[in-house]
Amino acid sequence: MTAHPASSAAAAICTEGLTKRYGQTLAVDRLDLCVPPGEVYGFLGPNGAGKTTTIRMLLGLHRPSAGSAALFGIDAWRDPVAAHRQAAYVSGEPTLWPQLTAEETLTFLARMHGSVDADYRQALVQRFELELNKKIRALSKGNRQKVQLIAALATRAGLLILDEPTSGLDPLMEVAFRESVREAKARGQAVFLSSHILSEVEALCDRVGILRQGRLVDEGTLDQLRHLSAETIEVTFAGKAPEIASLDGIKIERAGANTLRCAVSGSVAPLLTALMGAASGAGTEVVALRSREPSLEEIFLHYYGEAADGSR
Amino acid sequence: MEAAKALALRTFADARVRMISFALLFFGYALANAAGYKKAYPTLADRLGFAQSFGNNSAVRLFYGTPHHLETLGGYASWRVGGIASLAAAFFGAFAAVRALRSEEETGRFELVASGAITRRAAFVARLAAIGATIVVLWLAALLGLAAGGLPAGGSAYLALAIVSVAAVYAGIGALASQLIPSGAGALELAGAVLGLDLLLRVVADTANHPGLHWLMPLGWVEELRAFTGARPLVLLLPLAASVALLLIALAIERRRDIGVAVFAPHDTAGRPRLLLLRSPGLLALRSQALSLTVWAAAAGGFALVLGVLAQTVATSNLPANLRQQLDKFGGGRLETAASVIGLYFLFFVLAIALFCCSQIGAARGEEAEGRLETLFALPQSRSAWLAGRLGLAVAGAALIAIVAGLGTAIGAAAAGADLSFLRLIEAGLNTLPASLLVLGVGALLVAVAPRLGVGAAYGLVSLAFLWELAGGLLGVPGWLLGISPFHQIGLVPAASFRAGPALVMLAIGAAAAAAALTRFRGRDLVGA
Repeated sequence: MTAHPASSAAAAICTEGLTKRYGQTLAVDRLDLCVPPGEVYGFLGPNGAGKTTTIRMLLGLHRPSAGSAALFGIDAWRDPVAAHRQAAYVSGEPTLWPQLTAEETLTFLARMHGSVDADYRQALVQRFELELNKKIRALSKGNRQKVQLIAALATRAGLLILDEPTSGLDPLMEVAFRESVREAKARGQAVFLSSHILSEVEALCDRVGILRQGRLVDEGTLDQLRHLSAETIEVTFAGKAPEIASLDGIKIERAGANTLRCAVSGSVAPLLTALMGAASGAGTEVVALRSREPSLEEIFLHYYGEAADGSR
Repeated sequence: MEAAKALALRTFADARVRMISFALLFFGYALANAAGYKKAYPTLADRLGFAQSFGNNSAVRLFYGTPHHLETLGGYASWRVGGIASLAAAFFGAFAAVRALRSEEETGRFELVASGAITRRAAFVARLAAIGATIVVLWLAALLGLAAGGLPAGGSAYLALAIVSVAAVYAGIGALASQLIPSGAGALELAGAVLGLDLLLRVVADTANHPGLHWLMPLGWVEELRAFTGARPLVLLLPLAASVALLLIALAIERRRDIGVAVFAPHDTAGRPRLLLLRSPGLLALRSQALSLTVWAAAAGGFALVLGVLAQTVATSNLPANLRQQLDKFGGGRLETAASVIGLYFLFFVLAIALFCCSQIGAARGEEAEGRLETLFALPQSRSAWLAGRLGLAVAGAALIAIVAGLGTAIGAAAAGADLSFLRLIEAGLNTLPASLLVLGVGALLVAVAPRLGVGAAYGLVSLAFLWELAGGLLGVPGWLLGISPFHQIGLVPAASFRAGPALVMLAIGAAAAAAALTRFRGRDLVGA
């Protein structure tokens, strides 16, 4: 073991040029991530973008083809055992030992991790309403996910790596999950959250990274991402909305009989000019202009759309 | 109809690698024995001598069954090919049925199938039809092997049919076990227990002269079919009726039960948590393997007991000189004393314990394939320690089975009044370990290098090595070439002395392979199913 004590200054997660190739497929491409202690980091991307592969390398389960990943300064591949003492993981596919009961599983996982806050675990069991005496094979996916979540949260590890942890949970449990993540953050734990539930990411995360085809295409706070992204302006006319072609930096589409939805990057001046001209030409007038910031979903769809279009 | 066809094709495709492996095995073993007989006993005089000496020796009947007309190629093939191949056929049938019926359901895939435009009954029939098709392929392989070895086509077809009739009955047993037990491993163990009983009955019937026992179980029916030696095709009605009856009962249960549930359902809730054996991954493995280990040890003990009891009575003093020569072609055994009978038959315990080692490698690989190792290794647990723990468990299990085999033989021999040293019989048990542990180490390395193929390759290597030992001598293969099979390197304790040199070499290779496996496993990605 080459464990060196994790300095409090070291980032919870730090990857440098992290790359994974499977044969000809480039799954993750030169990823540089840094998550400081106490930060909740949202990791987004369409299916197959390389999120789970990244997490597997963060945990030293798969070997990076190039680059490195370190948890609290400890290399995840070279010294996984020391790195994992600082971390707890919840997988998207909760694979546990079918013959054990939930309680036996929690005991086993706690012993395997080495540290557990038993009182907090008891509180979590009640919060998530977990039935302890049921065998894992008899539990639904959501309930197995609860077992994993409780085990991970109860370690009080400095870093929680959560891969779609709530995909099987009902809305009540989603509330319990958010409460638990906020508690972890309040204690200074870092959380790496891969999720498709954008409202969850919006509610919990300090920073967001968007992965597409193995590359980090954007990263920042939600505000920063909003500024980078287009602003949405809805224009309502008195009568039928006229046809207006998209302009440079402005994407215009019909959102109803009388309404156009315009995605504006940069100045709105060309849009205003075009609207006035079109309205008078069609013998109608603009009665309402509504502007709002794009939701995370819209930011995200912006990138998804590019992924779907492929070459663009 | 469309759905049933798709399901049948899927089941057939799932079985194809297993089917091809068994087909090659059947073809090769049938051909080698038929060709070997002609080479080893070229003249009628040779064959008559062979038949006289072997026909009356009960020791050689122990695992091959009762021979008839050994002076003919057909009689020989029927005895030697039928006796062993029918065991493999039984395993094939049971495994195919459990895999298609219970394992698919256990993983949840069958729920998806059953939600399609297909009835439970049609799904059952479709999967069994696919298994039937694989059995037909095995039948063809055995037929071709026998015919290529110079046997007439009609008789070959009949003997091959006798062999695969066992696969059909055991497919029925596997299908029924799949209704009774909710886990694939458990259902397979139940079917295995039936096969063990079947073999035990055959051994007793053949060696203790109770031919009536043949009529009770499928392996006995194969003998009573008397391929090439006064065929009794009417006996085929027995396996036919048995398979149909078993399948109808299984279907009746299948149609009435919920998906995912079995007749004997263990409780899904526990009153109080059992926290024993949760301290390490290795102990948890022991906890999950305890039942399987018990079944293996009990089976070994049962056979050992029977072997011990029979050893004295089947040993033939004043072994004719020509029989000695014949036996040399079978791997160098002598059957004059109880000790020599036991020494020869402990080779089968080597095979059994080597297969146990393969099953342990398979169980360890299963943890990886099903994703539980990701859960485990995301925790502060070292991969090397985990694999070392699994190998340690396998070594301990193998040693336990070996000692139980020695102990069982000793108790049986003592009960029958045979004058055998207790310690020498325990030594005979332990003598099975070097070759088995060689298999364990090599199996671990195979899985470390090729995770998806390793387990099958390990089983394949063991089967090939054993068949090489069985058939190689007959084919007149030179000794050094025979010697590549670990089975050939074992001193036949208690009659012969323990061969320390080869044992050490095998242990060293096994240990080196295990060490390489640890390094390689630490250095590769975890691989799913």
